Amino acid sequence: MNNLAANAQPALIELDDTDNAIIELLRRDGRMPYRAIARELAITEATVRGRVRRLEESNTMRVVAVTDIEAAGYGMLLAIGVQVENRSPEAVARDLAAIPEVFSVNVVVGAQDVEILVVARDQPALDELISRQLAGTPGVRRLTPALALDVLKNQPDWVPFHDPA
Amino acid sequence: MTRRKLDEVDKAIVEYLARDARVSNGQIAGALGVTEGTVRARVKRMEEEKLIRITAVTNIDRFRDATLAYIWIEVERSDQTRSVAQALAQIEELGFVGVMLGRSDILAITMVRNTEHLAEFVHQRINIIPGVRRTDSTLGVNFVKHDYRMARIVA
Repeated sequence: MNNLAANAQPALIELDDTDNAIIELLRRDGRMPYRAIARELAITEATVRGRVRRLEESNTMRVVAVTDIEAAGYGMLLAIGVQVENRSPEAVARDLAAIPEVFSVNVVVGAQDVEILVVARDQPALDELISRQLAGTPGVRRLTPALALDVLKNQPDWVPFHDPA
Repeated sequence: MTRRKLDEVDKAIVEYLARDARVSNGQIAGALGVTEGTVRARVKRMEEEKLIRITAVTNIDRFRDATLAYIWIEVERSDQTRSVAQALAQIEELGFVGVMLGRSDILAITMVRNTEHLAEFVHQRINIIPGVRRTDSTLGVNFVKHDYRMARIVA
């Protein structure tokens, strides 16, 4: 599942300045050649290669393609507050996380119990997602949605790693 | 802001890159039965059109003192929403800034160490922006999921 605690995690590694510099360069351009990274940081290509492998194998960093939600066919993005009853917020959060259109799930403290970010292709798909899938999830009492009119920034650098379905 | 949708070949390439973007164009080409030049040209075009972004993501689980904070921002006058959102987008620590319909005017998301850090961040970096009327923050206790393969790619 998406719960990190359930996954066996490789040992934590200490990151030094070289690791952090490599991560910074790869954040800017994930396909930057090892040779170019080596030149930029004045280290050998073998060192870069070894460091990247270590960062990946320790589950610290992944270099991935992020697809624009509109290019993927989703016209709408919403932030929805979820109030829970008769069930733990963690359990409800795990069920919500299993829905592909729900791309971010956080258990929170405050007026809401869980905050989620969702995408939908269009209004009928949104109705189906909210009225049936989300509202029908056991333990969900109330949904308080807000529709994004415009997203000015969306750079999720630090994220929980879960294995894509 | 209408963007081209990915076609089937684009989607097949992105599927490989979403798992591991360090895979070579030649490997993808071999797997899909297209030429390496096709893969290279498609990837370049998708990146230039901001349909995909190839980037390093790091595991939040490796930084146990990081907590997600949702900051909802209400503006003084509705015609200030855009300028406040633009000022927020300049703040490096914010990972998400969206103009919203409902709940409040703007949603900003960031990582903080604890409640004190959140209070300091909101007071010193957000409340000082002209047009900000009030903020309402929510602190995360468990970051269960974030599908990093999906985002709004902003030019």
